Amino acid sequence: MEYVLILLIVTFIAFIGNSIYTGIGLMESLPGIIILMLIAMAGITLEKLIPLPIPTIIYITVIGVLLAMPYSPTSEVVGTLVGKVEMLPLATPVLAYAGVSMGKDWVEFKKISWRGILLAACVMIGTFLGSAVVSHIILSIQGII
Amino acid sequence: MERIQEITKNWKLHLVILIIVMISEKINIVKIPIGSGSIMFLPMLYAMVLGLIMYLAKPVKIIGKAQEAISGKFVVLGISVFIAKVSINSGLAVQEVIAAGPALILQELGNLGTIFVALPIALLLGFKREAVGMTHSIAREPNVAYIAQKYTLDSPEGRGVMITYVVGTLIGTIFMGLVASTLATFTPLHPYALAMACGVGSGSMMAASSAPLVEMFPEMAETISAYAATSNVLSTADGILMTVLIGLPLCNFLYKILYPILGRKEKK
Repeated sequence: MEYVLILLIVTFIAFIGNSIYTGIGLMESLPGIIILMLIAMAGITLEKLIPLPIPTIIYITVIGVLLAMPYSPTSEVVGTLVGKVEMLPLATPVLAYAGVSMGKDWVEFKKISWRGILLAACVMIGTFLGSAVVSHIILSIQGII
Repeated sequence: MERIQEITKNWKLHLVILIIVMISEKINIVKIPIGSGSIMFLPMLYAMVLGLIMYLAKPVKIIGKAQEAISGKFVVLGISVFIAKVSINSGLAVQEVIAAGPALILQELGNLGTIFVALPIALLLGFKREAVGMTHSIAREPNVAYIAQKYTLDSPEGRGVMITYVVGTLIGTIFMGLVASTLATFTPLHPYALAMACGVGSGSMMAASSAPLVEMFPEMAETISAYAATSNVLSTADGILMTVLIGLPLCNFLYKILYPILGRKEKK
C-alpha cells in the first residue's frame, strides 16, 4: 500500500506543477493526470504480483501503448485527456526528491577526483553519441530521415 | 502500516517539495541562445538543485537523513507517472516506433561505442583496473549490481563502477540534457537519432535529455518522446544482457591489449 500513497503524493504535486507550467486549469487536467497515476499504479501492482524479473517500466509501457495506440478504442479519449498534462511537470517533483536524496551521494561525490568526474562525463557522452550515430545511420538507410 | 506512517509523518518534507516544484514551474524554461540554437534550463533542474540545497544547507531543519531515505523511494516510484505519460506518447506514435524498429534495436549496440573512446582515455588518465568498472557501461543500478556480484564493490572494478554511478546520479541528468541540446545545435545528427540516444541511461536521464529536444522541435514532439521512451525500455530490458555478454568481456579484452601501451607503469 506504501506505493499507492507515494504515487498519490507525487501525482498531486505534479498536478499543481502542471497547471503552473502550462496554464491549463486544474479541473481540465484532472482526468488526464488520474489516468496517468492509475497506469503507473497498475504497472507497479503487476510487477509485484507477477513473479518474473520484469521491471515496472515494461509493464507501464505496455499498458500505456495498448491504451493509446491508434488501433485501440480508447486511443482518442486517452490521447486527448492525457494531452492536457505535459511531460516535463511530471518529472519535476521526482527530481526535487532526487535532489534531497542526493545528499548522501554528495559526500561520496566530493571524494571523487577531477579525473574520475571527467572520465564519467566521457562515458556518458560516448554512450549517447554511439547510440545517436548508429541511430542516425540506420534511420538514413531506412529513409525515415 | 508503519511505513505509511513514516510517509505521513514527514508531511513537511512533501510540503517543501511542493513549494520547490511551484517555484520551479513558475520560473519556467530559461533559454540562453548560443549560435543557431540555445542551451536550455528546465524546471526539473531548479527543482533538483533546490532539493539538494535543502538537504545540504538545511535552511529548514526538517530535512535530514531520514527524509533522504524516504526521498529515494519517491524517486524510484514517482518516475513511473512520467513513464506512464511517455508510454501514452509511444502508443499514439506506435506506427513510427514500429517503422523505426531496426534503428531502435541496432542503436543499442551503439551504446557500447563508449568503451572504445572512454577506456583509452581512462588509461591515459592513469586508471588501472578501475577503468574497466568505469567504462564498461553507463553504470546504472543493474550494472552496479552485476559488477558488485562479479568483483565485489571493494575491488578496483567495483570502485570504478561506483564513480561512474555516483557522477551519473548527481550530474547525469543535467549533463545529458546539455549533451542532447548541444549535439542538436552543433551537429547534423537528426533529432530522431538524438531522441533514441536519450534512452541510454536512467528514466530521469531520459526525461532530462529528451525534454530540450521536445522544446527545440515541437513539431516532432510526439515522435521524439516515443523514440526516447522505446529506446529507454529496450535499454532497461537488454542493458544487463549487453553488459554480461558483450560490454564487460569487450572492455576486459581491450584493457588487456591497451594497458601495456597506454597504461602508466607502476611507480613503486
